[in-house]
Amino acid sequence: MIRNSFLIAGLAAIGVGSMGLLSGCNPGTPEAPKPTDTKTEKPTATTAGARPEATDTGVKAEGDTIKIGLVAAKNGDDRPWGIDSEKGAMIAQDEINAAGGINGKKVQILVGDSASTPEGGKSAAEKLVSDGVVAILGEVASGTTALIEEVAFAKGIPVVTIGSTRTDLAAKGNNFFRVCYNDDFQGSTMAKFAFEGLKLHKVAIMTDNKLPYSQGLSKTFREAFTKLGGEIVDEQFYEKGQAQFSGQVENMKGKNPEGIFLSGYFTEVGAISKAIRGAGMKDAKLFGGDGWDSPSLITGGGEAIVDGHFCNHYNNADPRPEVQGFITKWKDKNNGAAPGTTMGALAYDAANMTFAAMKRCKDLTAKNIIAELENTENFPGVTGKITLKGQGGNPKKDATVVRVTKDGFTFAKTFPAE
Amino acid sequence: MGSALTLLAGLDPAGLPQQLVNGVLLGGIYALLALGYTMVYGVLRLINFAHGEVFMLGAYTSLFVSWALGFSPEAMKSGSHQSNPMNLVIMILVSMTVCALVGVVIELFAYRPMRGSSRIASLITAIGVSLLLQYGGQLFLPTSPPPSISDKVNPYSGSWEIPLKSADASLVAALAKARTEAKESQAEIDRQHINRFDTNLPPAQAALITTVETSERQVHDLEAKINNSSVKINLRYGQLIMLGSTIVLMLLLRHLVLKTPIGRAMRAVSHDFDSASLMGVNVNQIVTLTFMIGSALAGAGAMMYATLGDSPALNTFYGSLPGVKAFVAAVLGGIGNIPGAVLGGLLMGVAENLVVWAGYSQYKDAVAFVILIAVLLLKPGGIMGSSKVEKV
Repeated sequence: MIRNSFLIAGLAAIGVGSMGLLSGCNPGTPEAPKPTDTKTEKPTATTAGARPEATDTGVKAEGDTIKIGLVAAKNGDDRPWGIDSEKGAMIAQDEINAAGGINGKKVQILVGDSASTPEGGKSAAEKLVSDGVVAILGEVASGTTALIEEVAFAKGIPVVTIGSTRTDLAAKGNNFFRVCYNDDFQGSTMAKFAFEGLKLHKVAIMTDNKLPYSQGLSKTFREAFTKLGGEIVDEQFYEKGQAQFSGQVENMKGKNPEGIFLSGYFTEVGAISKAIRGAGMKDAKLFGGDGWDSPSLITGGGEAIVDGHFCNHYNNADPRPEVQGFITKWKDKNNGAAPGTTMGALAYDAANMTFAAMKRCKDLTAKNIIAELENTENFPGVTGKITLKGQGGNPKKDATVVRVTKDGFTFAKTFPAE
Repeated sequence: MGSALTLLAGLDPAGLPQQLVNGVLLGGIYALLALGYTMVYGVLRLINFAHGEVFMLGAYTSLFVSWALGFSPEAMKSGSHQSNPMNLVIMILVSMTVCALVGVVIELFAYRPMRGSSRIASLITAIGVSLLLQYGGQLFLPTSPPPSISDKVNPYSGSWEIPLKSADASLVAALAKARTEAKESQAEIDRQHINRFDTNLPPAQAALITTVETSERQVHDLEAKINNSSVKINLRYGQLIMLGSTIVLMLLLRHLVLKTPIGRAMRAVSHDFDSASLMGVNVNQIVTLTFMIGSALAGAGAMMYATLGDSPALNTFYGSLPGVKAFVAAVLGGIGNIPGAVLGGLLMGVAENLVVWAGYSQYKDAVAFVILIAVLLLKPGGIMGSSKVEKV
């Protein structure tokens, strides 16, 4: 008997190993070790100076045009985000060039395609570095941004991410900045919203094990929700690209959750919500993070996802002049269509914030740009005021919770930065 | 011992019947796909690694047909859409036909020229075809944003509940009442365009929100009570159609293989390729037919998987995971053995759901490979296969 159980345990171990090999799309290739490990990672230090300093390798802008890189998912699952990132950054580029450029020099944004994979993002970043960019904007997926950050850190080039919220990214180096909030804030915001807004007491979580973003967000949500006095009754896992969720859903059903936190991307959330409703959980509230942010969510989830809520970066209906001005510009370039995701506005902010930092540089070296980005104070972004000084790369931003309706996302509640 | 007890304590016995049913339903699709692997292996001794990609093309075909039938994303935005069963029939037939053609073309251009070469050369060609379709497909198939088949195509959206242990009728009535109340007050809130989460509302509107919150709380509490006191199996009509069609297709295949001259020829080729050809069996024709049938089954499976299940959005890698699992199912049942493939598929589906039921959803996909290794170590011939050692 004992020998048998050893054999089975051994087989299980081999099976799990071969699974990784065969699926072949885990974030992080052998030569680029997986940058993050949720279980061992210490909470991020938010004080500046605690972050390791990127070495100055003498990268600087030469010639009459300043080259800036943008890594965006122009293909693959995350395409809605990649396309909007590119459009937003290009609006910023055209604007600054029309206004005379940066200290008389024109700006050129070079776009690299990550094809929605971490490895693709890494090679796109390497290509951009060899093309001589002084700063890199992007990506949206946290797993991809982690690898871009590694490439840039080795070259001493700043990275301004557009939508990567995973908390521990910012602790990796002083060359990393966000224009969005991080998951510590996003997770606790959704916990507060679920507990106080939706009045839920028992919640289940569904995590995409293939996304560092989803793992991190589920973890912070769990901590915050438990702290508020709520109970996490179950956590189920799946992997991006997986097609069947009925088993996980059935397990959750047995625990009677009043709401389900879906921390993955819109590509799977639609199908999961259908499975949840199909299994007869008609009343469980569905909610999630900014990974839901795409109109494809509604086409994928149909009626099942209607009345769900998620945490977003800003709201198109916000009357602030920055928002309305940006939307007018966007509509001019896109035949009157409003932005479908918030990544356009975040990319626009990332580009403009970088331009503003560059304008303050005497000498356009990558090292100076990092220093000036760190000095950013009260930058008036479309998605809110951004201050990076002394924040360790994490700006304090408001979060906007939106509600999913048949026709789009409507405003539900704002949670102020903390 | 202690750890075994805590492990068992986490299990939910009430959920088991449903998980088993779900496993069988999922296993049906694996079985359809596994039949393709096993039939091709039977006649050619070739593992057709491109079979998962045929499945993917079947799902895309169903998508295009659904668009042509008026369920495109643009059309879905306007008005209500009534589907009828005919749409499903058209989708499955077109998908099967297209897949059958794709299977024939693959065999004709990729495998037939390699037939004289060593078996490993054919195997590598198969992997090549698989990669060609996965990556080449991105050139002409819509992948971004990943499209999905509208769930409106399926006219049977309800479900059939089989109570194994009924809940208290008064509780059920109370739940229905609370649910209607919650729905109605939410509709009223929406009608008046009130933001539920606004904290500065006039008293009349705030009262509405209190109503909705109270009735929702009641719904949650009652539902938990009912759920805890009853055991039931929930069968969605879509899943039942899936299972029914799968059984019909398998019976047709059984008839074809066992009762017709073509089936006899197929079995002869499978038994001994060269002797069959010497006995006057048109081997090329039989091989083509085998690919056709196997691929058509994959097409049928793909259509049902993508339309009637909770399929995620399509991309060109859509078939790779189901393909691998069906391959394992075929090996488990004994590759080359038709009833074995069906049994293997069902066992795979059930095993996967049991792993999830036991609370290890993160290892849901790993179980396929654990089974593969276990079969290869303990019974290389599979459950129903011959124990003859084969070198691939």
